[in-house]
Amino acid sequence: MKTQKIGAWIAVLFGASYFIIPLIATFEFSLRMRRGEYSFDAYRSVFSDVQFRESFSYSIVMAILTIVFGILLVVPTAYWVRLRLPQMRPFVEFITLMPLVIPAIVIVFGYLRLYNSSSFIPFTGSARGTDLLLMFSFMTLSLPYMYRSVDTAMRTIDVATLTEAAQSLGASWPTIMFKCIFPNVMSGVLSGAFITFAIVIGEFTMPSLLNRPAFGPYLQLIGANRAYEPPALAIIAFAITWASMALLQLVSRFSKSAPSKP
Amino acid sequence: MSFLELAGIQKSFGPVQVVHDFDMTIEKGEFVSFLGPSGCGKTTVLRMIAGFETPSGGTIKINGKNQESLKPNQRNIGMVFQAYALFPNMTVHDNVAFGLKIAGMNKAAVDARVKEMLGLIHLGHLADRFPYQMSGGQQQRVALARALAPKPQVLLLDEPLSALDAKIRVSLREEIRMIQQQLGITTVFVTHDQEEALSISDRIVVMNSGRADQIGTPFDIYNKPATRFVASFVGTLNLIEATVVDPASNRISIGDQAITLREPLGPVKAGDTVSLALRPEAGSIAESAKGDTALTGQVVSSNFLGSVIRTRMKVGDPVISFDMFNAPGLSPPAVGDVVTLRFTASDLLIIRE
Repeated sequence: MKTQKIGAWIAVLFGASYFIIPLIATFEFSLRMRRGEYSFDAYRSVFSDVQFRESFSYSIVMAILTIVFGILLVVPTAYWVRLRLPQMRPFVEFITLMPLVIPAIVIVFGYLRLYNSSSFIPFTGSARGTDLLLMFSFMTLSLPYMYRSVDTAMRTIDVATLTEAAQSLGASWPTIMFKCIFPNVMSGVLSGAFITFAIVIGEFTMPSLLNRPAFGPYLQLIGANRAYEPPALAIIAFAITWASMALLQLVSRFSKSAPSKP
Repeated sequence: MSFLELAGIQKSFGPVQVVHDFDMTIEKGEFVSFLGPSGCGKTTVLRMIAGFETPSGGTIKINGKNQESLKPNQRNIGMVFQAYALFPNMTVHDNVAFGLKIAGMNKAAVDARVKEMLGLIHLGHLADRFPYQMSGGQQQRVALARALAPKPQVLLLDEPLSALDAKIRVSLREEIRMIQQQLGITTVFVTHDQEEALSISDRIVVMNSGRADQIGTPFDIYNKPATRFVASFVGTLNLIEATVVDPASNRISIGDQAITLREPLGPVKAGDTVSLALRPEAGSIAESAKGDTALTGQVVSSNFLGSVIRTRMKVGDPVISFDMFNAPGLSPPAVGDVVTLRFTASDLLIIRE
């Protein structure tokens, strides 16, 4: 029994080291900008770069919008499929899997062909339109993960009976959706949101080919021309992503355990 | 005018008709149970009353108002489900308050009503708990309080006790009945458990293959079953095939033993077969076959069931079961013994369908 436990710990440490050692190495390298001593010069250089602030803010805003609209699309869809259209589930699952098998570059060329400035829906005719198109493309890319996370969370609750219980108490569809179903699939929504956030922050192909100032293309540009800033950027991106995840966890845990006030 | 009227209700799922011409009226404050085996259509009828299923035909009226055009959330019907269906993200207080908030009550009124409802189910001290922190019985009581809080015109209970253990079932069904009587709310209770239905209902509807086989008081359903199905489904019953000897004098024979029935045999002739029902508890062992209503047979098994001893005896071809109350010093008949079972003529019921 004890040997098994030690074996399990060794396996965990080995797995963790696969992830942690490169991270430590990246961090260590990011501190070596000043010759002969460790310093945060690379970070200073990154933070003082206006392009970094702009591209990172842009990606954060895009990530938030993608998460919000992704939730508004996926949660009602998964709910309705479970409640009224269970026979459509394999079809919907197939559709949500498409972004995994169609490369992003193919999708974006499809978009450019369909939504160019001379098409019926000229998304790319303006900066805001292209931003909207980019957000939709991010939603498409994150669809397999968001849908699965939400659908798995819905499997843990009896959607049909909860809906009927709420209806018998006089609830309308929006009330059922936002007060009875949504809070109970929050764990799945958050998981989907984390993955969506990570995808949006790191995505290069879509914003690059749509020519939008996102963090992915900026990272590529810096990586191609500088030595110490790219690892510093990678560490910053990791730190911000982790902080966001921790914050979301904290918020969800707090809201779930909040007692009522009779 | 009855409070709840179901007239000619039909329901089909594709080519399969699951409810056929269901007619019933329920008075205000009455407790009616739909009793039947799985798939007999009892839950479908309940769901049609709630508005979760649309009838293929017929009308449903509550307090004289046709319910067809009303959505489930407009019917003011309280419902308790087998799976509790408490909202997992809400505390007990918030669950009970849910319907009240939707009805637009102010906070003080909501809190007062929640307090009253939780007091009714004796769970006032658990108002801040979440459903996962409670037992099944407690959750179902909260579900009952939640359904009753908005003062619904009809309460529907869809096998609310099925998921609970035996002891809790008994105590909760008594509590449900007590609360129902206290509030005087019209209640429809769906169950496949005959004991539940018999113990708490004003009337029972025994359903079979989408039809109401019999509607009556628990006493009538048990003692005067209208059909073979009701006789066999409710309680333990001996169904005996007998041969008509003399229709004029209601004389029949079981095995080769003749008996005179009290009930008229109807339009049958000598030599016809009739079905008779006899409850196991109706008869008792006698020293000898005095009078006409006794059967003598050989014991084929004798099982001790705690409060009773159930003995099966062979009377020609038919095998008849009868119960003896357990008592200290009782010597139950042994396999192979020849015994005489005596009963009154009115205990033998003619099953006509």
